[in-house]
Amino acid sequence: MTESSPLPRADGPPTPRLVSKAFGTPRMLSIEAVLRKRLIICVGAGGVGKTTSAAALGLTAARHARRAAVITVDPARRLKDALGLSALSIDPHPVRLEGGTQFDALALDTKRAFDAVIERFAPSPAVAARIQANRLYQELATGLAGSAEYMAMEKLHELLHAHRYQLVVVDTPPSAHARDLLAAPSRLTNLLASRAVSLLQAPVNLLSGTSGVGRMALSTLLKALQRWTGLDLLNDLSDFVTAFEDMIEGFTLRAEEVSRLLKAPTTAFVLVTTPEPHTVETTIGFHRELTEGGFPVAGIIANRVLAFPRLDDAAQVLLELDAPLRAKLLRNYGDICELSRRDRHALKRLHDETKAPLLAVVPAASEAPTSLSGLERFATLLVPASA
Amino acid sequence: MERMQAARVLFVTGKGGVGKTTVTAAIGQRAAGLGQRTLIVETANDGSLAHLFGHRRLASTPQRLHAGLDAVRVDARELVEQYFAGVLRFQWLSDRLLTSNTFNALTAAAPGITEFLLLEKILGWIEPGFAARRRRYDLVIVDGPATGHAIKLLRTPRTISTMVPGGPLGKIARRLLALLADHQRAQVLLVSLPEEMSVRETIETQEILEGDLAVHVTRPVINRIFPRHFTAPEAAQIEQRSDGALGAEAAVLAAARFAVTCRREAERHVALLRRTLGVNPILLRQLFSPDLRATDLAPFGRTLGRVVFE
Repeated sequence: MTESSPLPRADGPPTPRLVSKAFGTPRMLSIEAVLRKRLIICVGAGGVGKTTSAAALGLTAARHARRAAVITVDPARRLKDALGLSALSIDPHPVRLEGGTQFDALALDTKRAFDAVIERFAPSPAVAARIQANRLYQELATGLAGSAEYMAMEKLHELLHAHRYQLVVVDTPPSAHARDLLAAPSRLTNLLASRAVSLLQAPVNLLSGTSGVGRMALSTLLKALQRWTGLDLLNDLSDFVTAFEDMIEGFTLRAEEVSRLLKAPTTAFVLVTTPEPHTVETTIGFHRELTEGGFPVAGIIANRVLAFPRLDDAAQVLLELDAPLRAKLLRNYGDICELSRRDRHALKRLHDETKAPLLAVVPAASEAPTSLSGLERFATLLVPASA
Repeated sequence: MERMQAARVLFVTGKGGVGKTTVTAAIGQRAAGLGQRTLIVETANDGSLAHLFGHRRLASTPQRLHAGLDAVRVDARELVEQYFAGVLRFQWLSDRLLTSNTFNALTAAAPGITEFLLLEKILGWIEPGFAARRRRYDLVIVDGPATGHAIKLLRTPRTISTMVPGGPLGKIARRLLALLADHQRAQVLLVSLPEEMSVRETIETQEILEGDLAVHVTRPVINRIFPRHFTAPEAAQIEQRSDGALGAEAAVLAAARFAVTCRREAERHVALLRRTLGVNPILLRQLFSPDLRATDLAPFGRTLGRVVFE
């Protein structure tokens, strides 16, 4: 790059380095250092470009001759087409780049992946079938907060365990809370072990162990729940818990392993955000939950950022153009500057709140990459070759 | 005495950050301006609605925001706690029992409980009770949860009425079903941005809501449409002039090209939505004013009002 002036180059929106300079945030950890990890987990609100970022990180790693896999959950249809993932598959699918390099991509179907786990842990196919047919299971597998997250973690464990890859990049599902993701492996076991569920399984046994008042309260609660759910569901639940009992140990062990993996020094959590205020607040929340949970947050990727500066000499530019067009150009520039100012404020707030390093700032391109070449362009914005 | 009609309810939904709250506030203000007693129900609890009207935070009982316009905040967890506290009678008992683990187990064991309690709460504001001589509101706008949850929310009465056909719960479920099936009284408004993910989500949601759930969906809203600043020949001229431009000129031209692409992308996505759903979306323009206040939303209110009150 040439001497950086505080202005964007003529061939497009401002370059990332320029933007990070404009925002004055230090790059404490470069994105290259993140790419040397074994596991990268991209976390962020929905629609911020998380899948694109994850794919671009995998692509860049592959360009650096690393065997990489990208696990994605529900990517935008056109990106899926670009990656050849139209036939949503839980099996690794090679994405071939020009020059012979390639990386693997996997798309996750929560329900099917959940079924696979049940089949693996269940003592017999008959038990697996019984669980899968259970109404409560169907609710848990598709509806329970964190089940998609659980599956992403599950698949991740499997991939890293097989030692096929030097780097696995995970694009997490857009959950409202990072803790859904992180608590996911233990959520199911907690649920099954929790008092209320055991209570439903064998209410009489449990009640005998508690004090008089406690017993009264529990039985009232039980009645309320019964009134709520109807007896069928209560039977379903009891059936479900009984069938699940033999599997709890396998689940718990796995949950502990995944939890260790997530906190390992070879793991990096990357927060992906846009400067949109609502998204920034979500990202701040994610950051807080992750750091409080002891998870290694490497930094933030800010996507779709506008960074046009105020001009002092606007009166002097493009004087040869027609007055009406020139006026429109300047008015438009004023509008874009206002949006840039908002972005700057939002990112400043993000930085003040999290103190997390800004790994990359990707300029707003007004369209998401929809082809492999588009993804490659995005990757060069994310990880500039010169950096 | 003439039997009183229930108020109308409008669920505003869309992905986080698309402008649900902006749309809600604009409609609320417009409705109040037209003399309708209006209540906004905030489910997100991030304070953004309150901020638009210069308040800090909403309370859990309706408060006045503006002449004829009230707002209230509801929190799902609070609702469930209240419900079980009511069942258990003693606060300290429910405090002890409703630890987070038990809470999770309860909500998993009773699918739809949070959604149902939220709808029940809303019903209380819509339908006149025995004691009420007249209903309190003409219009209730739910600044709804994000799309996926909204589908779950609107499906709940059906699930509950199948699960618990009789009893007080079943009765409420049937009242809710009747409300949602009445296209004059209950409507859903989908808000999206002119972007692929967002538009695709709107299309899928509309198909589920209208097909599967048979609720009435108004014309969708697409927010933040970039203004069309430049004609096609001007865009070409900008493109050409960008070659080799430097400094401030390069910046002005790059900003113009950005605006041209944004506009083109917006038009493409509007066309996609129009083609797929066969309806004309309501377009709201990108606003550039520094600190948005409710009063800035009057033009949006007029545009949206034509759809909601037509």
